[in-house]
Amino acid sequence: MNDLLYNIVFVFLMATVAVVSARKLHFSSIPLLILLGVLFGPHAPYGAGFDFRLVKSTESVELFSRLGMLLLLFYLGLEFSAGRVIKSGVTILKGGTIYVTLNFLRGVGLGWLFFHSWPEALVVAGITTVSSSAIVTKLLVELKRTANPETELILGIMVFEDAFMAVYLSVLSGYFLAQGTSFVVGLMAGFITVAFIFAVLGLGRFMSPYLDRWLNFRSGEPLIMVVFTLLVIMAVMAEKAGVTEAVSALLLGLVLAETSHVKRIIQLVTPLRDLFGAVFFFSFGMGIDCRQFAPVALLVLAALGATIAGNFIAGIAGAWVCGYRGRPLVNVACTLFARGEFAVIAAGLAGASGSAGILQPLAALYILLLSIISPVLAKKSRSIYLGLDKAWRLLSRHKTESFAG
Amino acid sequence: MGEIKEAELPGLGKKYVVRLDSGDRFTVVIYDEGNRELFCFAPEEEEPLCSVTLTDQEARQVGSIIGGAFYQPKLLEKLESAIAELHIEWLKIAPNAPLAGKSIGDLSLRKKYGVNIVAVIEDAGKGKKRTAAINPGPGYVFTPGQTVIAAARRDALEEFERMVSVEGG
Repeated sequence: MNDLLYNIVFVFLMATVAVVSARKLHFSSIPLLILLGVLFGPHAPYGAGFDFRLVKSTESVELFSRLGMLLLLFYLGLEFSAGRVIKSGVTILKGGTIYVTLNFLRGVGLGWLFFHSWPEALVVAGITTVSSSAIVTKLLVELKRTANPETELILGIMVFEDAFMAVYLSVLSGYFLAQGTSFVVGLMAGFITVAFIFAVLGLGRFMSPYLDRWLNFRSGEPLIMVVFTLLVIMAVMAEKAGVTEAVSALLLGLVLAETSHVKRIIQLVTPLRDLFGAVFFFSFGMGIDCRQFAPVALLVLAALGATIAGNFIAGIAGAWVCGYRGRPLVNVACTLFARGEFAVIAAGLAGASGSAGILQPLAALYILLLSIISPVLAKKSRSIYLGLDKAWRLLSRHKTESFAG
Repeated sequence: MGEIKEAELPGLGKKYVVRLDSGDRFTVVIYDEGNRELFCFAPEEEEPLCSVTLTDQEARQVGSIIGGAFYQPKLLEKLESAIAELHIEWLKIAPNAPLAGKSIGDLSLRKKYGVNIVAVIEDAGKGKKRTAAINPGPGYVFTPGQTVIAAARRDALEEFERMVSVEGG
């Protein structure tokens, strides 16, 4: 009778199942949402007697998913503040720079090795560089490591990565809009987008007293209405101006973060982000044919190996620079493996720009596998440290012996 | 006194590390959503000896228990807290104190001394529960063994203290 509504019911039913069971299993909801999207989406397996294709990718699902993406980035903008990065201290700035740079270079190298083309290399770097702050924070709480001295560094690196992601996404989307041209032109377009963002930010700072007064509503109702409407208007305007709507949402978040109403806006937006964000991750899974997993499996394995090794080294290096020694070093390196929301967003951006169709299943499988591996590695950090310590001692003794002999 | 270190945990809340005189470290994490997590570390240890998670409500309850709102240890029966000019003291009436056997009205504590009696806690006898007379009237008679909670200025309280403690002592 009403196919549209049935479809939405199924989408939210699956998303709810994913989120609720993730909570019960002490697991991140993002990989589960993607998995259910793959299993019950339009590309789901079907055969004699069974048909898993419960959900169709209709216009309304797409709209919800787009809103989810807008809200995720809007939230990133709201949460980001330069002040916070600076406040987290010079050491974290140093450690964060080293960690992100090493990881990003490793990501670009990996991407270049896979595809021999710059746009794909940049997307692969985006997928494999930035840890999921949601998953990492959850891990820290669950493993009862919040009291540990290195936890401040880990969370500081998260803040730093969020900031990096804001810049990276702007560059990437600018790059994709200038697609078809050379690498340099694309990169230039990316940096023009970043320059544009800084200009708007400057304007936002100048405008913040006016915005403050204008948004000064007693009740939450008008505030969320104005904010959401602004978000949609910005998305349309961005499209007209030739910027991705993702960047426009980020930008609006950054501007509103300068006003005194941030805390209230964050409170109002968080449930919306959770609701539509779930649809975004689910619909990302819906777009993936599980038969595509086979051809990318080798690439994913290579990416996993490179990520775990590279991330471990980058984590150790970052923590070393910040003055940590011994076990905390290994703890830092082992906690940051999880990838999640930003990987999906980066892959989603690539998909929208018509880049290689192989990237989305790659990202999906990569996130799924890492989400299983990363908590195990984080839990085992003690034995990893002990093993490394033993190996190091054996090695150094061997050296001295050979010197003596 | 313990030395307290404060650290921001972005996205989670705040962390306080208290280094106790015994060398132990006591860590309190206050999450943004209200829960408190407490950790206890032995000196030079990296793994906590124990940890507890409390809800916001429970944390407040435990906090006031630790602060001594429910029970004063016997040795510390004289407890003082001061806010601006207002001093509040918990004093135990000595067996042969000058004010024993007299009523609040007889002594005209408020008029003459500027001392307000907030409450008097009865001494617990065998099998009896401690009871408290809150805001006692002028007819209330002091007896030895009671704990008096008095609010006044510093100098007035000092005078009152002499009346509560042992004569000449």
